[in-house]
Amino acid sequence: MPPPAAFERRVLRNAAGHHYLRVRLELPDGGARPSAAQLKQLVVAALRELHGEVGAALPVDVLTYEEKTLSAILRVVSSGFVKLWSALTLLGFYQNRRCAFRVLQVDISISSCVIWEQ
Amino acid sequence: MVRFKNRYVLCEVVAEEPRGRHCIEDRAVGTAVRDAIARAYGDYGLACCSVSFTVKYLNAYTGTVLLRCRKDFHRLLCSALPLVRQLESRGLRCPCFLSTLHVGGTIRSCQKFLIQHNRRQLLTLLQNCTNEEERQRIRQSVLSCSLTEGQSQSGDEEEEDDTETD
Repeated sequence: MPPPAAFERRVLRNAAGHHYLRVRLELPDGGARPSAAQLKQLVVAALRELHGEVGAALPVDVLTYEEKTLSAILRVVSSGFVKLWSALTLLGFYQNRRCAFRVLQVDISISSCVIWEQ
Repeated sequence: MVRFKNRYVLCEVVAEEPRGRHCIEDRAVGTAVRDAIARAYGDYGLACCSVSFTVKYLNAYTGTVLLRCRKDFHRLLCSALPLVRQLESRGLRCPCFLSTLHVGGTIRSCQKFLIQHNRRQLLTLLQNCTNEEERQRIRQSVLSCSLTEGQSQSGDEEEEDDTETD
């Protein structure tokens, strides 16, 4: 059992344009891994399911993606941050396979997200 | 939090074909609006608007519909109304659109607006009449409608409330 993740929360009051999320997709069955384009399609599909066409039209970008570890950094406009996180939380299936998105880190600047430990 | 506040949206169903009138019933309109909200705003939006959503009043002859929703989510409802393209009932499909006339906080305010709106519509229709016979018929029916005593007229929002005599 991995040790429980230390949770740290820092709130900054200045409004930022974008929020950055470091996420990892968990696919318990060892099947084909999605490519970057398929990951983007999965995120948009999750938004469309929970928040409709308006949610699917949110400008979400996949900044980096590592296919081996299935981790990615997503960028979203700050006004759609809650919609994106809720859609990622409630996503359960990828091509009829069970999957889950784990959100590892959330920040308003990219610099702290880039420094990641393997 | 003292009470739940609602918003009442008054709309008009505009269908091109005259036989589309038979499609207009409250369940068909309710389902069509719910589908439009689900397409535009997803599961979350559908759940938000469906909390207190009903079709409160419907008039198939004039195509007037009164919808109710919670005050916090009436913008979701109003922005999803233009996305309704057809009404389906009993296997019949009729293409139509909904145009919003008024958004009010109570049924009474919507009723007041509807009475004034219908008065103005009658005048416009009278002006747009093409032949004299229609004009005479409209004048006759307007002059002949009256408030009968001893009968509750609270449901009649289309007829004029003043008594007119020849």
